[in-house]
Amino acid sequence: MEFAVVGKRIPRHDAVSHVTGRTLYGVDIVRPRMLHARILRSPHAHARIVAVDVSRASRLPGVCAITAADVPCNRYGFTHVDQPVLADDRVRHRGDAVAAVAAPTPERADEALQAIKVEYEPLPAIFDPIAALGPDAPRVHGDTNVAARVNIRYGDIERGWQESHEIIEETFRTQMVEHCHLEPHAALAELDSRGVLTVHASVQRPFLIAADLSKILGLPMNRIRVIAAAVGGGFGGKNEITMEPIVCLLALKAGRPVKAVYSREEEFQATTVRHPYIITCRTGLKREGALVARQVSILSDTGAYVSWGAWTLSKASIHAAGPYNIPHVKTEGVLVYTNNCVGGAMRGFGVPQVAFAYESHTDTLAEAVGLDPVEFRLKNMMKDGCVLPTGQVLDKVTLQQTVVRAVGLARPEEDRTP
Amino acid sequence: MPDLAFVLNERPVEIEVAPHALLVDVLRDHLGHTGTKVGCGTGECGACTVLLDGRPVNSCLVLAVRVGGRRVVTIEGLAADGGLHPLQQAFMDHGAVQCGYCTPGMILSAKALLDTCPAPSEAEIREGMAGNLCRCTGYAKIVQAIGAVAHALACSSRTASPGA
Amino acid sequence: MKRRGRGIACMLYPVGATSYPNPGSAFVKVNPDGTAVVFAGATDVGQGSTTVLAQIAAEALGVEFAAITMVTADTEHTPYDFGSVASRVTYVVGNAVRQAAHQAKQVFLAAAAEVLKLDVSGLDSAAGWVYAKGFPERRLPVAEAAARAYALSGRPPLGASTFNAATTFLDPETGHGKPYPCYVFATQIAEVEVDTETGEVVVVSIAAAHDCGRAVNPLLVEGQIEGGIAQGLGYGLLEEMVLEEGKVKNDQLVDYVIPTMCDMPEMRLAIVEEPEPTGPYGAKGIGEPSLLPTAPAILNAIYDAVGVRIRELPATPGKILAALQDMRVPSERGPS
Ligand code: FES
Ligand code: FES
Repeated sequence: MEFAVVGKRIPRHDAVSHVTGRTLYGVDIVRPRMLHARILRSPHAHARIVAVDVSRASRLPGVCAITAADVPCNRYGFTHVDQPVLADDRVRHRGDAVAAVAAPTPERADEALQAIKVEYEPLPAIFDPIAALGPDAPRVHGDTNVAARVNIRYGDIERGWQESHEIIEETFRTQMVEHCHLEPHAALAELDSRGVLTVHASVQRPFLIAADLSKILGLPMNRIRVIAAAVGGGFGGKNEITMEPIVCLLALKAGRPVKAVYSREEEFQATTVRHPYIITCRTGLKREGALVARQVSILSDTGAYVSWGAWTLSKASIHAAGPYNIPHVKTEGVLVYTNNCVGGAMRGFGVPQVAFAYESHTDTLAEAVGLDPVEFRLKNMMKDGCVLPTGQVLDKVTLQQTVVRAVGLARPEEDRTP
Repeated sequence: MPDLAFVLNERPVEIEVAPHALLVDVLRDHLGHTGTKVGCGTGECGACTVLLDGRPVNSCLVLAVRVGGRRVVTIEGLAADGGLHPLQQAFMDHGAVQCGYCTPGMILSAKALLDTCPAPSEAEIREGMAGNLCRCTGYAKIVQAIGAVAHALACSSRTASPGA
Repeated sequence: MKRRGRGIACMLYPVGATSYPNPGSAFVKVNPDGTAVVFAGATDVGQGSTTVLAQIAAEALGVEFAAITMVTADTEHTPYDFGSVASRVTYVVGNAVRQAAHQAKQVFLAAAAEVLKLDVSGLDSAAGWVYAKGFPERRLPVAEAAARAYALSGRPPLGASTFNAATTFLDPETGHGKPYPCYVFATQIAEVEVDTETGEVVVVSIAAAHDCGRAVNPLLVEGQIEGGIAQGLGYGLLEEMVLEEGKVKNDQLVDYVIPTMCDMPEMRLAIVEEPEPTGPYGAKGIGEPSLLPTAPAILNAIYDAVGVRIRELPATPGKILAALQDMRVPSERGPS
């Protein structure tokens, strides 16, 4: 079927405004009488907060300051409501916000930040996700550092091991990375003429931001309006509230528009990152190369809060055995708290980590049975009617076509067949 | 505060600036030219690129007072008489723009590159543009767009010069 | 010495958020002049979703692309959307836009039916015209049909719709369930050159074949694949946050290195279009999956080139050199 518009190589609708520099991103939005916000962050990875004193900062001309005491409902989160807007009892990583100020100029805001006094009582911290599982490890929340578990079982793994001629195990580790969208997080809050609290923010999920703001601020949803400005890249990094509640509280307190923009340091230290994973793949296979059984265990370091950690772990676990037809599969995922940066959503949501592991592992297996990596994949890959470890039956499986096309493209130009 | 006089996009401007003010902040906050972006503030990403006397500079590293008496071109000054500059058009047509945050700096760097090296090889384009980061596109379409403009320039200069 | 090698990696990836309902919705209003405004909650974060949704609306209404204006991502002025995550916007919000446009279209088709003296079921629209199916000469501009709908029928052409994929939660014991509506697939092959003296890796080329269902806009699909490869290359070779007692030591783009133009290889792309019956015009998604195979393809290529298996990302020159040395040690001792 031919379409008139679908399938056409049409330039972006906003291309003209982008190439002429007219697009207004979150960082570009300003208002008359606007105040500039700055956030004070913890110098400790783990500490009890004894006292926060913003009185000296508040006395500076035009400065308005807030602490946890100003936040009506100071916990948020999607699967686990464990994260404060401004830390109250404890700081749990160095990105935790402790207090915030708004001032007529950025310089005055910096000065006000210096004037805030916080008394901490440092606590033992835990940075290694394996050590965090130990009985004596410092606890980040509650009485265990295990924040979530995911289990997926398909077939009978014990039978799978028995039916295998060879069993190969490998362990992989992935690193912590940042989204590095070129536009930092930015938000501006103001009351419009109707008294609706309006937030312009560089975010991927305005409706989630609005819902969370409503809970945190204790305002009905029809008094809050979130507008996603043009967003200078997200990649999962702009999936949750960051400074939005802070600029809202400051704007309400000061009665003026308040804007915040994160520095690059804050992007790294205080926003979410891609979870580092430790992944062990153990696979049983037949002499001629057919996959029989696979067990995958995943340890995910979610840092100080769960954020999207439980959800990413579940997506990772579902796909940890890869696009292969394996009769017996067992996946165990564990999410652990540490005092590291907070893991969150990032393009691929846990699956790039496991894809690195399962595809490296696939080459090891191919070599073990003396097959070429392409041949081994074609032999074992999912086809229409194959079943994922979740029991979901696949159709329209084009894996084989993609292999054939990629192999064709990888040939030197002269012998590439169209 | 010192008075600063310079030429911005072919128009003279006069403005009071603090001695330590950065060019990027003066352009964005005082002159409302928000097409110049800040990605890092440390000279690494090129999002803040402007042309200073025709040469690309990271405006996040330049003190505003240093541009006194000189010519500054920002992305807002590139489209002449309402029409788009060929690089702007090529970036659109080749899909070289995604979020667009790197785009103003990219286009200005590309202009400076083509001004000094009108027929760059692909390697010269990549080398010449390595100071401009883009997190969205993987750069392929940016390289194509710049190459296409260079090619069109070469063709038009060939047809324009009777001896060729 | 420089050694070349090739590596392959495959993947599958789902469309939509895991298990939880993640609806998207849209309003469509057709103006009396045949142009239209689409209100959708989805945010364009650079991936191009707003352009894709406008294409879907234009196709569904049978009007030109330029006739569509998009209003997006405003919690007061646009209907609910779950968000620009999970490679879901084209599929989920695209379906909502298509359905809402279809509703609005039925209204102006009905107005046209009176003029063309045909039953509405015999009419369709394309490129700004309402026409009789099978007899396209019998036609009327959409603008005229829309104007009649306002002025004579007293029924402005409007549509409102929501789409939510049918998914289930996973059984907590077995992990069984249907968490996603559909899947996409891909293969990438990397060719690398490894310097055995320095451990440096140059990625020479990446061949990438991706299934995204119907490609609503191939230019944007290619952009997603190329951008994903860049992030995958960074993940495989360059990027790593270094923490000391929870403090990020490399918290600037100076010392946290993302790929530049010079790091990027030649990319050869193939879009494998297998239309998905439940997707808008057969579309699925492409946003996230594009980066998945890149890092393993590169690391498999390093193994192919120099026989070194790096199991900890990123594969830095230091790790490769160390592994090369480990490999040499036993061979220097000679065969045992
Ligand atoms: S903002 Fe100037 S180089 Fe990044
Ligand atoms: S288009 Fe987003 S950074 Fe280049």
